[in-house]
Amino acid sequence: MKRKILAALLASTMILSLVGCGGNGGAASTDSAAPTEDAAPAEDAAPADDAAAPADDAAASTSGAGELTVWCWDPAFNLNAMYEAEKVYQKDHPDFKLNVVETPWDDIQTKITTAATSGDLSTLPDIFLMQDNAFQKNVISFPDVCADLTNSGIDFSQFAAGKTAYSVIDGKNYGVPFDNGAVVACYRTDYLEQAGLTVDDFTDITFDQYLENGKKVLEATGKPLISMQAGECDLIMMMMQSAGSSLFNEDGTANIVGNDTLKTVMETYKSLKDAGVLVEVNSWDEYVGSIVSGDVAGTINGCWIMASIQTAEDQSGNWAITNMPSLVGVSGATNYSNNGGSSWAVTTNCKDQALAADFLASTFAGSTELYDNILPSGALATWAPAGDSDAYGAPSDFFGGDAVSAKIVDFSTKVPSNITGVYYYEARNAVATAITNYINGADIDAEMQTAADTVNFNMGQ
Amino acid sequence: MSKSSKKLTLSKKHNLTGWAFLAPGAILILIMSFIPMIRALLLSFQSGVGAQMKPCGIMNYTRMFKDTVFIQSIKNTFFYLIIQVPVMLIFALILASILNNKDLKFKGLFRTMIFLPCATSLVAYAIIFRSLFANNGLVNLVLVNLGILDQPYSFLTNTTSARIVIIIALLWRWTGYNMVFYLSGLQNIEYSIYEAAKIDGASAVQSFFRITVPLLKPTILLTAIMSTNGTLQLFDESVNLTNGGPANTSITMSHYIYDMSFKYVPNFGYSAAMSFLILILVAILAFLQMKVGDKRD
Amino acid sequence: MTKAKKFGMYLFLCIVSFISVFPLYWMVSAATNKSAEVISGRLVPGTYFIENLKNLLATQNIGRALGNSFKYSIILTLVSLVVCSLAGYGFEIYHDKAKDTVMSIILLAMMVPFVATMIPLFQMVSKAGWLNTTIGFILPTVSTPFLIMMFRQSARSFPHDIMEAARIDGLSELRIFFQMFMPTMRSTYAAAMTITFMNAWNSYLWPKVIMTDTTSQTMPMVVANLTEGYVTDYGMLMLAVLICTLPTAIVFFCLQNAFAEGITGAVK
Repeated sequence: MKRKILAALLASTMILSLVGCGGNGGAASTDSAAPTEDAAPAEDAAPADDAAAPADDAAASTSGAGELTVWCWDPAFNLNAMYEAEKVYQKDHPDFKLNVVETPWDDIQTKITTAATSGDLSTLPDIFLMQDNAFQKNVISFPDVCADLTNSGIDFSQFAAGKTAYSVIDGKNYGVPFDNGAVVACYRTDYLEQAGLTVDDFTDITFDQYLENGKKVLEATGKPLISMQAGECDLIMMMMQSAGSSLFNEDGTANIVGNDTLKTVMETYKSLKDAGVLVEVNSWDEYVGSIVSGDVAGTINGCWIMASIQTAEDQSGNWAITNMPSLVGVSGATNYSNNGGSSWAVTTNCKDQALAADFLASTFAGSTELYDNILPSGALATWAPAGDSDAYGAPSDFFGGDAVSAKIVDFSTKVPSNITGVYYYEARNAVATAITNYINGADIDAEMQTAADTVNFNMGQ
Repeated sequence: MSKSSKKLTLSKKHNLTGWAFLAPGAILILIMSFIPMIRALLLSFQSGVGAQMKPCGIMNYTRMFKDTVFIQSIKNTFFYLIIQVPVMLIFALILASILNNKDLKFKGLFRTMIFLPCATSLVAYAIIFRSLFANNGLVNLVLVNLGILDQPYSFLTNTTSARIVIIIALLWRWTGYNMVFYLSGLQNIEYSIYEAAKIDGASAVQSFFRITVPLLKPTILLTAIMSTNGTLQLFDESVNLTNGGPANTSITMSHYIYDMSFKYVPNFGYSAAMSFLILILVAILAFLQMKVGDKRD
Repeated sequence: MTKAKKFGMYLFLCIVSFISVFPLYWMVSAATNKSAEVISGRLVPGTYFIENLKNLLATQNIGRALGNSFKYSIILTLVSLVVCSLAGYGFEIYHDKAKDTVMSIILLAMMVPFVATMIPLFQMVSKAGWLNTTIGFILPTVSTPFLIMMFRQSARSFPHDIMEAARIDGLSELRIFFQMFMPTMRSTYAAAMTITFMNAWNSYLWPKVIMTDTTSQTMPMVVANLTEGYVTDYGMLMLAVLICTLPTAIVFFCLQNAFAEGITGAVK
């Protein structure tokens, strides 16, 4: 009896309570609480369908009609590129529409992980932008998420090889390369002048020469040549790739202990830091701040850093770019590398994958017009034919009248490709720890061993 | 006889009313927290990459004690807990009792100013603190100009100072928050008690320890449990201020679990297992605190 | 209190307030400066406020984000206060061993990091079709062990003799709750309201998982959008952050008298 009353009470309070319908939240959980079911979904049905369940009509496939949902970040850059691509594609396909949802990369990663792990891919968009470094990890961890684009009619051979490699897994193409992460070395020409140097003294040089020049600049101006974020190993990874080396072997095992390139890189980094030519800062804000407020005489980073540099309008004309220094005593060392960048992926949730592929093939992998249109936003192509366009030859006043765009596209074709590795972020963090300890006086071999142990531990699940 | 049976039904009735009152809240928690928790518990006995999970017994639980980064994160988190929670709660209590003073002018203004930090959005707070403690930041500028430091000190790249910055940031952000609970709790203490104590010649400090603290005990227990829980799940500061650095010496457990779930190759079984270790740790601490503080007398 | 003591107290409060408010001053002044100036550490207000505002309104739909945030936060706060105070009251006023045990068990619910329970929760909400909806936003946090415990602890000071008197007058248990408990505990409600509103307003991890549509983005999501580009416009970002901070500050300012000024005696 007592139990019956209790049950009745529970049931009635559930219906009474405003959120009684919480019961059917456990679609997988309980059988209770049907009564209020239709109250809540009724009001929710409307907003839910345009986002969660995309492309109601899987009718036309290659007619070019239909709507695609895209997730990407950075309105001035990636969103702008997508809107321009929509315009280009609409010329031949007037019924085509894009629904671009601004979503930061961290959020895209969280959403993909959540959706894929819970086995509910229906919440994913048709196309999304993915950081190149995360490509291997996501395709291997969630094989159901990204559609294989190898035979989709997109010509991947026209993209820079070093760039395409990020999104190729087991010989299959999963991404359409987009923005360029070719490394540029930027210098304040007015500071260099005070030390009696020019940009030519920094072109096609080695890190030994870079260090010597850096000492001169430091002496003449009191400014270090470069600032880097402590605990992040951007520069380390750029140096590694410039020699085509990476933290992983072909077979996926960690390549840290006995990796002479890594050892040289770490030693080079420390010598720069010890000489005061390189200064470490605490955060990304401080890094950008040190550049725009003139606390350093230059930087080395992916070419997208130039957009931040150009916010220091008062320094217009005082900047120049060239290629990065090369490693000394390492086979395969070059003056070219890559940092950052992203590629477009098509999801398996896309109801009309032919349309998505055709859209990408005719825009990001087939339209010089698109690349010309997005050039003013700073978006540089990794698609070779775009680099031949006149727009890329235009001089930049900010960078001393140099045709920087054409220069960067040229750099990007020379970047050696390397193995990203599925466990890229783990290895990167482990190496960051190693370099921090090494700078503070720890033994380099022991630290490399510890880093390798950490990575192997993470891989050994 | 008839009277006692009536009384029994009345207390029975009250008992049932109690259950009915707490039912909506309890059922919601059951569905929205315990079902996911049970799923996570099941997950913690599986291992694998991403969505491809296989049963693995208690491997995840033994694994974490061999994980040097995770062990480091436990040490870091307890360092924060031991120093920050008591300091913050005492400080909040002192502020609340000062601000509860009837004769104080501009009370509302002071209260709002002290509360404001926790209303500040995380993004702004992180940028501000990073810039304050930057090499050329305000803190270095002041310390160098006062002659305390010869040259700027890199606060966020040295282990001890990075941890201290995190503690300072936590104190800054959450003291006002805890003060709110104490202020609201103090309203239930009659002011006349203080006046009587004053007449008896008790000093402010004496009445603080003899009146305020004992009468606020339920609230103090609440804030102690919440702060312990909050600190053991500390995430924002570790991610945004120091990014766990230098060399993982300021990373927290939740930060590591998050990395394991969303930054690294996801291994949710292992993440879930580490999460349950946090549950166990908080539960033990909360249990001890309840034992000490949750007596009705 | 002696003059010197009084002076000391005010000085102490001024220092604490200054430290608390300084970063906010920095934020306000940053919102009026250019990005490059903000990042070079300029502390004085500039003249770039209108420009920052224009840029912000041009790149982000602030109005819609504010509307969403207000809608989600207000509904969550109101429902949450009713559900949790009822439960806290139930736990304390009618307490017995069983209920104390249930309370301890419920406390466990907050001790697991959200990261671990997020995915099963997402599965439930997604299956129910509540992505991009208010109900999806509020459900996981509408009933929290924290609020329940807060009301349970404060119900401890609810005078039992008043309850007995009300019962003799023939008031039902529910009416005692609404007519006696709620007004008496005004200060607890005000404090709980402030805290719940703030938590709802600032919540980020959960909305970022379930809000997949542009039209349901909240204010913290907009702020996150602004930090993700290759170039961060710090002036604009600080303005957005300022806009994001104001509502909680205003809520606190309006409610503080309710929870910090003595109101005991109202029942007598």
